This record gives sequence, structure tokens and C-alpha cells, in this order.
Amino acid sequence: MSAVIIIVAYFSLAVFVIVAVYRTLRVATLPVHLRWELAPVPHEKGRSHYGGSYLEEYEWWKKPRSRSLISELIYMLQEILLLRGVWEHHRRLWWFSLPFHTGIYLLIGAGALLLVAAGLDWAGAAAAGVMARAAVAVALVGHLLGALGALGLLVRRLTDPRLVAVRTAGTLFNLVFLLAVFTTGAAAVAMADRPARRLVECTQAVLTADFSAAIPGLLAVHLLLAFLLLAYLPFTPMLHFVAKYFTYHRVRWDDDPLVARPRLEGEVKELLEQPVSWSAPHVASGGGKRWIDIARELPEE
Amino acid sequence: MTLKVRDISRRPGELLDPISPEELVPLPPPYDKPEDQPGWKPINPGSSERLVCNLDGVVATSLPQPKDPEEQRRYVDQFAAGLKKLLDKNNNWTFLQPLLLSLEYCVRCQTCNDACPVFTASGGKEIYRPTYRAEVLRALVGKYAKPGGKLLARLAGNDIELNWTAISRLYELCYRCTLCRRCAQTCPIGVDNGLVTRELRKLFSQELGWAPKELHEKGTVLQLRSGSSTGMNPLVVKDNVEFIDEDIGEETGLAVHTPWDKEGAEVLLIHNAGEILSWPENPGAFAIILNAAGIDWTLASDEVGYDGVNYGLFYDDVQLARIALRHVQVAKKLKVKKIVMGECGHQHKAMVTVSDRILTGQMNIPRESCLVLLERIVFSGKIKFDPSKNDFPVTLHDPCNIVRNLGIVEPQRRILRYLCPQFREMEPHGVNNYCCGGGSGFAVMSGNNFTDWRVSVASRLKFKQILDAFADQPGPEVKKYVCAPCSNCKGQLRDLFQYYGALEKSGITYGGLVELIVNAMVDVKEPFIKWEMH
Repeated sequence: MSAVIIIVAYFSLAVFVIVAVYRTLRVATLPVHLRWELAPVPHEKGRSHYGGSYLEEYEWWKKPRSRSLISELIYMLQEILLLRGVWEHHRRLWWFSLPFHTGIYLLIGAGALLLVAAGLDWAGAAAAGVMARAAVAVALVGHLLGALGALGLLVRRLTDPRLVAVRTAGTLFNLVFLLAVFTTGAAAVAMADRPARRLVECTQAVLTADFSAAIPGLLAVHLLLAFLLLAYLPFTPMLHFVAKYFTYHRVRWDDDPLVARPRLEGEVKELLEQPVSWSAPHVASGGGKRWIDIARELPEE
Repeated sequence: MTLKVRDISRRPGELLDPISPEELVPLPPPYDKPEDQPGWKPINPGSSERLVCNLDGVVATSLPQPKDPEEQRRYVDQFAAGLKKLLDKNNNWTFLQPLLLSLEYCVRCQTCNDACPVFTASGGKEIYRPTYRAEVLRALVGKYAKPGGKLLARLAGNDIELNWTAISRLYELCYRCTLCRRCAQTCPIGVDNGLVTRELRKLFSQELGWAPKELHEKGTVLQLRSGSSTGMNPLVVKDNVEFIDEDIGEETGLAVHTPWDKEGAEVLLIHNAGEILSWPENPGAFAIILNAAGIDWTLASDEVGYDGVNYGLFYDDVQLARIALRHVQVAKKLKVKKIVMGECGHQHKAMVTVSDRILTGQMNIPRESCLVLLERIVFSGKIKFDPSKNDFPVTLHDPCNIVRNLGIVEPQRRILRYLCPQFREMEPHGVNNYCCGGGSGFAVMSGNNFTDWRVSVASRLKFKQILDAFADQPGPEVKKYVCAPCSNCKGQLRDLFQYYGALEKSGITYGGLVELIVNAMVDVKEPFIKWEMH
């Protein structure tokens, strides 16, 4: 069983990294777009609390920009850790979405603690036990919160008329999958004999690809599901934690004027040279004229 | 039975999801009885045979019925080709990144739903849900623009058919969203369903040549050809403004003079030319204020340079760019120091931000909102004001394109707090405002029964919040003013107030910001604001 789990673990990790990196790079390397900012922009110092921008300033181009990276950071932390947007605009979902996401954050933390514990254990450090027990506690809370959140979100999907109308097999499958991972994880940790020891051994087995390690049944099922989820995740919108960087920083809050970004101007000049093939008569693309020429010329009547 | 995304391509002979006034959320008294309202104009039989009407019983786009199945097929093929161009770096570099992010990362939480004034006002009609048209596009892209899409669509139970029924309904559905982006503001992921709608409009326009005639033929095409979407050529516009100067001069007792084509001026003011024809007191008030403050300013009489309208913003990148470039070329020719946008929301957004990245090098001339310049003038001490002349209830409508999209929130408020003793906010306001209902070009679209829809549905929450803002003095005996510093918003408010008889029943009228400023000027002896619907 451990061989299967270890192979699946490496396979899943590889799939996750490759697909997530691919999707991230794909978005990151897309051409610069036209400005499409949306208030409020939190880095607007002294103005973000009401949604104001530097464009309120008389002859703004003659004045230095006053940015507050701290405001931006606070906004992002509130958004990531407390789900500020869901709290403000979809409170009924927030009660489940928050434990769900908090559970995931705790599980990431538990994973990190386990890695450290495994390392300390190899080094023979006494702190390994403390670290492992902390990992167990964090993992248990994380799984329980995750399960509570996933169950609540599933119930909302099944009962809230607004969500029922748009639910798809995919959204339900995702939640059931997550619920299975969380519940098996919680049960495996709670029911294990000496869970701290077990988890450290299991971590070490995966890290060293030790096929001979014994992994208890329930923990094996949980790990199998968790690693399969890891491989599945980057193919879905659940990768939105990556997208969020771009939607916020590269779209909503990307309010720099072109004059302030000379490098961007070079990129834009290249884009204006792109051939265009839109077919409507008024575009008059001629099957591949340059974007800038199309914008400069008027089609003949 | 709940309407599904795939239903958009099914039951070709039927309306997908008909709407009627009875379904809408109620308004406060005296507008709470549907039987007292004017009702909706039926589409006349001739039009219903000639035009496609298969969505909700409303016709905004006046899409002609195809001649035969061959023509239908051709359009469907063009749509499929356009779908690929929409996702292509060369053809759609302008918005590809935000579009793909919105298409690929929506988690379907529906957090955006309640933010949409159209969806909410309609009582939650499925096709108006801000995610509905995005889901349709997502399904079409998934099936028809990705490798293995057909198989995956079948496996995922999302098997939408790309046919004439689907594209004709989708086209009409693109004109049930005002692109106010309130939905985008609430999305925790940052998905922008307003942008998705705009991109769909772009696909229809740039690939199939489909766009409402008010925006295209009588909008951008006319503007580029004759100089203005109003049809005014340079001679006519100068004539009209001269007449306005004379008229306003007589009315106010001031010498009103509008300078034209002054080379090297500090300010090139570009109005929405609709103001010159429909609300002449607005350019007149601008002239009074700028002259009284000693601003070195000018209007431009070169074609396009006297009309800040840019409907390309709503449906077509090419037309957007063509008009923006001409605005800037006119400014460069006059060697002005900056362009100032008149009271026109979409002009602000088109010129100040959206076009910014195509204005490279010397073309990137500074651009500023008139609201910022007006604030500067009002608090400069160069003009004497008597705020008691504005002692009537005033509320402020926030044009989405100036406030939510540009973050210009406070300058206009500081002016109103100073000059209007009875100023009060609507709720919600500022960057959380509701669209007037005329956004994205709706204010100038009035074919068939679309005006009834846009004033009853798209404007419904706006009307409700206006009534709520004046709830302490609801009767017609107290005259009230809705300040709307945007030409299209004013057009929509005009239609809205006329439809409901708001002046007669509640004493509510509307106007711009400059009219209030001039009304409060000590040097202007007679009231500048006329309590009439115009």
C-alpha cells in the first residue's frame, strides 16, 4: 500500500507543480491589457477608504504618487485570511467558506510542521516530538474546520435556490471530494495510535520513497485521496489562489499611467504592431493589417 | 423549471425567459401600483416579424431575421471564428488577460448576484443573473474553442449547442447589462462579468458586424465620418454654441463667450456634444465658470474634437481607439496643455484610463476630469458664491464610469457640500452606487420597447434610491434636484422621470454640476436652474 501511496504522492506533486506553474506562467505572460481598474484601490494613500484615486488630484501628472503598500497588504491579508469580500457580499456563504479556507491554511501549516518534525527526528533532536504533536493538533483542527466548511458549502449548494439554479456536477463533485479528504483526514488523525509518531514516520517514508513503511489503513486512504486531490486541483477553478494575484494586482489595482512605466510603453508599441484579422467590414483588417494602422485609418465607405 | 445555460440554444421558436412589469421589485409610493404605471409598449407586429425577438420579449438590438438557413449557418460559423479570435493574443491583446482570468477562475459562488441592479430589480430573473451570459460563453469556449472540448462538454453535462438560436439570444442578452461593474467589485476572486459582457459585444461587432445602430452607425461611425454622434459638423456645432452663448448671456446678464481653436490654450474642454443639443445650459454654464475663473481654455472645431462621446468603449476596441486617437490628435494640433473631460462619464473612462495604453509617446497628453478642475475653481476664491441660492434638496448620482471606474469620488462632493445646504447622499453611494440604468450605451438606445425595459428594470434601483434620498420631503411642492454630472446618465434620468412623472408627482428634476455652481454665483442674478423637465 505504501508503494502505491508514495508513487501517487510523487506523481500528484509533479502534476500539481507542472500544471499550476504552466497555468500561472500562461496568465503571467499574456500581453499587457488596456487599463481596467476598479475602485476601491487600496494602495491609494488617504483615499482608499472611500474608493478615491490619484485622478482626484488637480494636474495629477505633475505630482508624485502617494501609495500605501501597507493598506494594500492589510486588504490582501483580510481578503486571504478572513475572506473579506465574501463577508461583505455573501454572508450566508461566509460562515462555511471561512472554516473551509482556514482549514486548508491550517493543513498547509501542518504539512510544513511535519516536514520540520521529520527533519528534526532524523537529526535526533528532542524538539521533533513537540513539533510532531503540534502538527497533529493543527492537522486535526484543519481537517475538522475543512470538513465543516465543505459540508456547509455542499448543503448550501443543494438547498440555496440561488446556488441550486447554477450548480453543476463539477461543483458538487469538488465539494464531495474535498469533504472526503477532510473527513478521512480527521478520522485518521483522531483514531491513530500515537498519531504524532505515525505522521512523522509516514512523512519520512514519503520523503525517502521507503516502500517498506507501514501506513495504517485509514491514513492510507486519506493520503491517497489527498494526493489525488492535489493532482486534480490545478485543472479546476480551485486554483483561484493564483488567479487572485492577477485579478487584483494586474487588473483591478493596476492603475499606473503609461507615462509612469516606460518599459510598458515599449511592450505596448510592439502590441500595436500585431496583425489583426477580425472580419467585420468596419474593422477593415484586410486579413492581417497592423493594429495601429487599423486604428489610424478609417475604412472606405 | 430552472433555466439552464444550455437552454439558450433550445426551443428556437420561443422566448427564452419572458419578462413582464408585474415581476419587478416594488417601488415606494406613489409609484407602487403597477396599474398606475404607463406599462410597456408592445412590439408592433411588423417589427416582430422583421426582427429577432427570442430572449425576454424586449428588443434592444433590432437584429434582422436571417433570410434563410444558409445565412444562419454563416453567422454561426462567424461566431465560432470570432470565439477563437477573442482568445487570441494578436486579435485581442487589449483585454485577453482579464478575460481569460474571468473565464477560467469563477468558482460559481454567485456572490455577485445581489450586486447587479438589473438582476435584483427583475426579481431575480435567471437570464439577468450576472453569471448567466458568462456561463454561456464559458461553455461555448469549452466546447468549441478548446481541443477535445466536445467530449469534455458531454462528460461534464455542459453540452451547449452553438446554433442560430444561441447566438441571436446571446447577442440580445449582451444588451441587458449596463457594464456598471458592480458585480466585479464584489467578486472575491476578481472575476469581471461586466468585462465578459463587453467582450461578447466586441466579438459580435468586430467579427459579425453586429452592434446596435445607436452605438455603431449613428454612434461611432457617424462620429468618425461627420465629427459627432449627434451629426453636427464643425460649422453647425460652432453655430449652436454661439447661439447658446447669446441665449445664456441674455438669461444671466453676463457676457458669455466660448473660445474656439485657441492654439496653446491651457485647457481643451471636450463636451459630450449631446449637451449642446439637449442641455445647452450645461456648456453655457461651463463657459460662465471658466471665464469667471480666468481659465485659458478653448473648444476645438476639428471633426471629433468637439464631441467627447466614444461609444467604442461599450462594444468595439477598434472604434474606441479610432475616436481616442482623433481626440488626442486634435489636442496635439492645438498644442493645448491638457484635455479636460466635460460632464460625460464614459468619455472620462475612455480617455483617461482605457485609452491610456494606446497613447504612446507624444500622444499621451495629460487628461483631467472637469470635476477636479471645477473643485479647484470653486475653492480658489476667484468666484463669489451664495450657497443660499441653492437651498433646496439636492442629491448626487455617481456616474459609474467616473466614480467606480476612475475613483473620482470627492471633488464633486466637496463642491456640493459647500454650495448646496440641503445636499444629501443616496444609499448606497460613491463607488458602491447604482448605475442610472443608461450605462453602456443604453441611454441612447430607444428602439422598439427597449426604453420601457431600461427605465423600468435597469433604472429601478436608481429610482428607488432617489426617492429614498428625498423621503423627508416626498411631495411635488418641494422641488428637488438630482445632480448627475454625466450626459448619458442625464439622458437616462430624463427618460426615467418622464416615464414615472417624477416632476409632477414628486417635484424631482435633474441636471449637471455646473448648473448648480452657476446657480450659486453671486454675479448671476436670476435663478439659473429651471424647474422643468428638459
